[in-house]
Amino acid sequence: MADLRINLAGIKSPNPFWLASAPPTNSGYQVQRAFEAGWGGAVWKTLGDPILNVSSRFAAISFAGNRVAGFNNIELITDRPLDVNLKEIYETKKRFPNHAIIASLMVEPKQEKWHELVKRVEDVGVDGLELNFGCPHGMAERGMGSASGQVPALVEQQTYWVKEVAQTPVIVKLTPNITDITATAEAATNGGADAISLINTINSLMGVDLDTWNTIPHVAGKGAHGGYCGPAVKPIALNMVAECARHPRINVPISGIGGISNWQDAVEFILMGATGVQVCTAAMHHGFRIVEDMIEGLSNYLDSKGIAAVTGIIGKSVSKYSDWGNLDLNYNIVARINTDVCINCNKCHIACEDTSHQCIDMLTDPSGKSYLKVREEDCVGCNLCSIVCPVDGAIDMTEVPNELPPMTWNERQAILNMTATCKADVTK
Amino acid sequence: MSEYKEFLEERDKIDFLIQKGYRISAVREHLNGATVEFFHPNKNLTETLHFGTANARKYFSSILAKQNQASI
Repeated sequence: MADLRINLAGIKSPNPFWLASAPPTNSGYQVQRAFEAGWGGAVWKTLGDPILNVSSRFAAISFAGNRVAGFNNIELITDRPLDVNLKEIYETKKRFPNHAIIASLMVEPKQEKWHELVKRVEDVGVDGLELNFGCPHGMAERGMGSASGQVPALVEQQTYWVKEVAQTPVIVKLTPNITDITATAEAATNGGADAISLINTINSLMGVDLDTWNTIPHVAGKGAHGGYCGPAVKPIALNMVAECARHPRINVPISGIGGISNWQDAVEFILMGATGVQVCTAAMHHGFRIVEDMIEGLSNYLDSKGIAAVTGIIGKSVSKYSDWGNLDLNYNIVARINTDVCINCNKCHIACEDTSHQCIDMLTDPSGKSYLKVREEDCVGCNLCSIVCPVDGAIDMTEVPNELPPMTWNERQAILNMTATCKADVTK
Repeated sequence: MSEYKEFLEERDKIDFLIQKGYRISAVREHLNGATVEFFHPNKNLTETLHFGTANARKYFSSILAKQNQASI
């Protein structure tokens, strides 16, 4: 069995699966149950000034029969007294000394407020701190959470204040509600962050009830934007993790968050630069025991690849993620329909005909049986037919030889610019 | 509907001039594709062609890259 232990900026845990700061980590009871189930760490639900929550708080989108494809909440940070949380953190750490307990923190952007909270939390033995600069609702209206997290200078300043007194590693949790995530990630590292975690939830309105015209969720007939998460946000999160991982000036470990629901999702985040991952919605949907499948799946995957430790795959895909301008313009793939597998539903033909490049013909063989065939010379390899095809293996996207050498857009433009400037030389 | 035949025609025009000894001397890209100037160094002749397909634009770019590499 592969070694699943990780060390994220000095925070050790028996596996890379942490519960994210959220309702699942609201109390000692929950975190201890999670550790018993196998979670390697937990980021305790954000501690801060006592607040009040509303009812109701959650909503979800179900899509094509899948429940909780996306999830949304308007819950704020912990509404329990700090002393109670600290006592439970102490007890939990004492019972599970080898598991990672990270305290999520949020206070107003004032130095003395951060100093006080950091000292009190570290006194009970947490393994690290996570600064919540991401929560988009409620607290943001009071200048905290994403309100701070959207301003690089505030991220840097507050990280610096925490680092002035912190004895444990400091993780800065970033908001995706910003144009360029690397701007705040870099600010966090400039402030001295030992690691970053991303993404927090995305601004969202889950829906509107067609009968009552209330928002979903609503609180006595009124709604507010909430934080969006769950499987639907995974691509957004993965991109932001990748952007940070490949950024030359962001050289701290990354804790990946956002729609991670199984071991495959976790592997993708780790390959794209995350040292470990945090999970929330999947645990809320299926319970703590999903971590058993995650651990087993990850271990089997590593064993099947002959990789001894999960640390061996961290960031292995980062170099494969670049800018569009660095992609080979002359790389060519085409669709090939396997007529023995195809069920002739014609979805590929319709999709190609109506919305792509009109290169799938409906033909009839000598026996009168209809079949679909791609005119490969007209196929641009867009993938649409294979995406809409309901049958696995019916359409293969196949690389076709190309006599043209690899050339990127950037290389092409450099060549064109050179030609323009060297026009006189060509005439010699 | 199909751009492939259009591309083949454009590629043939490029190949024809290159085989006759012309070299790409200037490229102007615009909303309708690209206007490419070919120059024959020995005969001091210039030909100007317009290319509308994306594949032709990739093709003459590759010719240009090869031409530049050869002249280095």
